[in-house]
Amino acid sequence: MQARGHSVIQFDQVSKRYEGGHEALSQLSFEVPTGEMAFVTGHSGAGKSTLLKLLGVIERPSHGVITLDGKSLAKIRRGGIPKFRRRIGMVFQDHRLLMERTVFANVELPLVIGGIARAERGRRVRAALEKVGLLAYERQLPATLSAGEQQRVGIARAIVARPTLLIADEPTGNLDPQLAVEIMGLFSEFQQVGTTVLVASHDLPLIKRMKKRVIVLDHGRLVADLAAQEVL
Amino acid sequence: MPPEDVAVPSHAPTPDTPPRNEHSRSRRFGSWREHHGWSAAASLRRLAARPLGTLLTIAVMGLALALPLAFYLLLGNVQKLGEALGQSQAISVFMQPGQGAQQAQMLAQQLGDRPEVAAVVVKTPQQGMDELAKMQGFSGAVQTLDSNPLPYVLQLQPREGLSAGEVEQLAADVRTMHNVDLVQDSGSWRQRLDALLGVGNRVVLVLASLLALAALLVVGNTVRVDIASRSEEIGVLLLVGASGAFVRRPYLYAGIWYGLFSGILAALLAVLIEFALAGPVAQLSQVYDGKLQVGGLPLWLLLAVPLAAATLGWLGARLLSAWQLRKVA
Repeated sequence: MQARGHSVIQFDQVSKRYEGGHEALSQLSFEVPTGEMAFVTGHSGAGKSTLLKLLGVIERPSHGVITLDGKSLAKIRRGGIPKFRRRIGMVFQDHRLLMERTVFANVELPLVIGGIARAERGRRVRAALEKVGLLAYERQLPATLSAGEQQRVGIARAIVARPTLLIADEPTGNLDPQLAVEIMGLFSEFQQVGTTVLVASHDLPLIKRMKKRVIVLDHGRLVADLAAQEVL
Repeated sequence: MPPEDVAVPSHAPTPDTPPRNEHSRSRRFGSWREHHGWSAAASLRRLAARPLGTLLTIAVMGLALALPLAFYLLLGNVQKLGEALGQSQAISVFMQPGQGAQQAQMLAQQLGDRPEVAAVVVKTPQQGMDELAKMQGFSGAVQTLDSNPLPYVLQLQPREGLSAGEVEQLAADVRTMHNVDLVQDSGSWRQRLDALLGVGNRVVLVLASLLALAALLVVGNTVRVDIASRSEEIGVLLLVGASGAFVRRPYLYAGIWYGLFSGILAALLAVLIEFALAGPVAQLSQVYDGKLQVGGLPLWLLLAVPLAAATLGWLGARLLSAWQLRKVA
C-alpha cells in the first residue's frame, strides 16, 4: 500500500549511452508522485522515448537508478520482466495492434497473459471498450478502424489490466488536433482515479492546453520541470 | 469518472495480482489450460491457412520417416525369408564315387548316432538323377548320359537349437570321415545372411537417426521462419507482459502438429509398402512350399511412429523457437 503523493517513479542520476557512443539521456533526476499525470517533451532526439523505454525495461540505464513504487528496476531479472510489464500500461504512437485479431481480442490480450478467467475478461474488456467509446466495434479488425479509433483500442488494451502506471509514447502523433484532445482527455480521466500517467509528446499546444506537469528534455538533459500551474 | 472496471487507483489492491491461495491457483491453472487449448487450435488454424506449405512440409517429413520404416520392413522380411529357407536346409554329404548302398547305410548309421544330428536321409544316385531330370533344362542332358555319375548323398538335419558354430563344427567333422567326398554346409550362407542382416539393421538405425534429425530440423526451420514472419506480433506480446513460454506455446503446438501428421503419413506409407510387397512375397512363398509369410510392421510400431514424430516436432520447434525468440526479443 502506498499513500497518494509518494513517488511512484524516481529517476536518480540516470544516463543511457547506446552502443556507438550516443548518449540519449544524461544524469537525469526527477520524481513523479503516485496519481500524477506528467508530460515529457523536447525536440526529436531529446530522449523522450528512451526515458519511456527505460521505464518499460525495454532498455536498461548505463548509469543511475530508476525506482518504481520504491523498487529498483535494476533488480528485475530477465525472467521477471514479463510480470513487471503487466503492472504498467503502454501506449505507442503506431498503436502496435495485432491486425489479424479483433478489437476485442487485442484488448483482451493483457488479461489472457495475466491468467484472468474468461468471464471476467469479457466484462473488463467491454468496460474498457466502453470507456474509449468503441464497444460497438469489438468484433471488427483494427484495419477497418480509423487511426484515432486504433489509438483508442491501444489505450483500452493499456488500461484493461488496471495498471498502476500508464506510459504513452507520442500517442497523438498521427491524430488530428480534435482527436488528440479527446485522447489526452482519456488519459486525464485515468489520472483522476489514481493512475500515474506519463506521456511523451512534442505537441506543445496540446501540452499547454492540458495544464499538467511538464518535464522538458534537451539532448538527454533535464532543462525544465514545470508544475501544472507554471504551464502557460 | 471512468468505471472501476477500467482504472483503479494504484494504491488500491489490484485484482490482477491476487493473494496466492487455492482459488487463485485453480483460476490460474484453468487459464493456463485454456491458453493451451487456444494455442493448439490457433496453431492448427495457422497451418490450415497455408495449406500448400503445410502439406509440403508434412510430405517431406512423412517421406523421411517412412524411409527407415520401409527398410525395417524389408529387413524383417529378408530375415523371415532366411528363417524359412533355413528350415528346409540341411548339410549335404556327398560320398566318394563308387561307394554303394551298404557304405551309405553304414555312414548314415554313424552320423545318426551323433547327438548333434536330428535325422539322416539317404538319397540314392537314381533319386538324384530323377531330381535332376525334373529340373528345367536338364532332362535332355540326363538322357544323353551312358551311366549315372552321381554318388550317394546323405542329407543331415542338424538338431534344433544348434548354434551356427556348432553346425559348422559338425560339417567339419563329417568332412574328415571315411568315404566322404564333399560336404555342403547350408549354415554358412545363413551365417553370412545373418551378418548382412546385422549390418542392415545398423544401417537402418543410423538412417533412422539421421532422418529423424532431418525431420527435427525441417520442423525447427519451419517454425523459425514462422516466428521471423511474426516478429512484430511477438514484439507486441512481449511488450504487454507475455512470458517466453506464453509466446512460444503456439509454435510448439505447430511443431507437434507437423510431427503428428507426418508420422501418420509415414505409417500409412509403410502400410502401403507392406501391401505392395504382399503380392511378390506370396509368389515367392509358393516356391518355398508356402513356408514364407509376409511380415508386416507391428501395430505398436505403427502407433508409436506418429507419437515419436510428434515428440520430434515438439523438440525441433522447442530448440529453434527458443533461439529465434531470443533474436526477436
